[in-house]
Amino acid sequence: MMTEAQQEQAALYALDLMSAQEAAAFEHELSAHAELQALVRELRDAAAAMALAVPRSVLPSEGLKSRVMDQIAEEAARNEPVNIIRPPRSVFSVVVPWAIAAAFILFCGVLALDRAKLADQLAAEQSAKEDHLAQERSTSEQRLAQERAMFETRLAQERKTFDQRLALENAKMEKRLADERAARAASLPMLIALAPAEGAPAKAQAVVAFDPSTQTGTIKISNLPAAAAGKDYQLWAVDAAHKDPISAGVVRVDANGVAQVQFKPTEAAREVKAFAISLERQGGVPKKEGPILLVGTV
Amino acid sequence: MIDPSQEAANRQLIQRIAAGDQQAFSALYDRLSGPLFSLAMQMLGDEAEAEDALQEVSLQIWRRAATYDAERSKVFSWAVMMTRSKAIDRLRARGRRQRIVAGSTDEEEGTRDYASDAENASDTSVRNDDAVRVRSALRTLPNEQRQAIEMAFFNDMTHAEIAEQNSEPLGTVKARIRRGLMRLRDGLQ
Repeated sequence: MMTEAQQEQAALYALDLMSAQEAAAFEHELSAHAELQALVRELRDAAAAMALAVPRSVLPSEGLKSRVMDQIAEEAARNEPVNIIRPPRSVFSVVVPWAIAAAFILFCGVLALDRAKLADQLAAEQSAKEDHLAQERSTSEQRLAQERAMFETRLAQERKTFDQRLALENAKMEKRLADERAARAASLPMLIALAPAEGAPAKAQAVVAFDPSTQTGTIKISNLPAAAAGKDYQLWAVDAAHKDPISAGVVRVDANGVAQVQFKPTEAAREVKAFAISLERQGGVPKKEGPILLVGTV
Repeated sequence: MIDPSQEAANRQLIQRIAAGDQQAFSALYDRLSGPLFSLAMQMLGDEAEAEDALQEVSLQIWRRAATYDAERSKVFSWAVMMTRSKAIDRLRARGRRQRIVAGSTDEEEGTRDYASDAENASDTSVRNDDAVRVRSALRTLPNEQRQAIEMAFFNDMTHAEIAEQNSEPLGTVKARIRRGLMRLRDGLQ
């Protein structure tokens, strides 16, 4: 019994439509299936019969058959043993071949001598050619080595110069980056909490909000008792670019110890490190004199 | 070639060729060269190339006659498949396959000209009878089945290529090839 799938494979196989792998697998199946083998044969014959349906308007040339027949005759001749027909031998036929052979040997001897002479000549020429080539090769190698050494020296110099330039550029770049980073940090608004210093009222506290770009700020103080008569609290900005703290003005608290004051340092404070409140003479001083009561670092 | 007596004669010739009989080869050449050349012409579309292909196949028959296996196929089928294979090699080697395929599809697939049952005067009456039988068997096939097996046989198109060209499922094309070929076989028996 045969399945449709087997019939289909047989049809594809008969028309050579299978890949090599598919055909190999099918042939394996085919080898053990007589009925399938018969079907493949029938389908292949049916497919081949289609060649008969092609209209035969043109025939192969007569010359083609002659060429094919000549070729097979030639092939047949190559494969067949050669039959040699020998004539009857006579005294003359014995002597003459020997004479020819002797003459041939003599001739070969002369040729051999000549060949030896030629071989020597060729060897000498070959040797001279090889010496010349060896010399040329040596010269080329020396020149190559010199050029290579020069090239390597120049390369090393260029590499050194390049490395130096690169290091310089790197250093410049790093410095610029650091500067930019510091400038950016310094220009950002900051919020600093001020805590009591030693000897100051323990509950006193203050918060400073300062914007370096506008150089303005606000301080909010609480729990700081009012300054004694003849005294005032003064706010200071400690700046890295200034030797002394920069005054940001006098701050007065109310009866509850509270104050909220806007301020502007008397000089530009670009690199603020801390804010502090000190107790100074009434009206404030240009340079800090009194004790620090509250302080907060950035 | 379909006629059993013709096939028997072909086999006898092949046996003699295997033994080196050049006269037998000449006789077989006379019997097969017409249809083989027509097939090569149909596939290659060039007379010189078709002659070259036939020359190669003829030499192959001479050299391989001893390996011919009557259990696998008829002598005629063996020679046809060798010719088809040579023609395909040439088509592939010269990159002309696309052109031939395109040309064949332009002439409307399924309308291959089998109209003329009358052959060239050089054909023998036996060959004419065979051709008539094959053509009438092909005409009994549904168009899509005939088209599928012709595209595969003459145009060297795989079932996948036929499916792609006709925008049809691969399974449908495979089934058509199977049905068409089996029906052709039945029609020729």
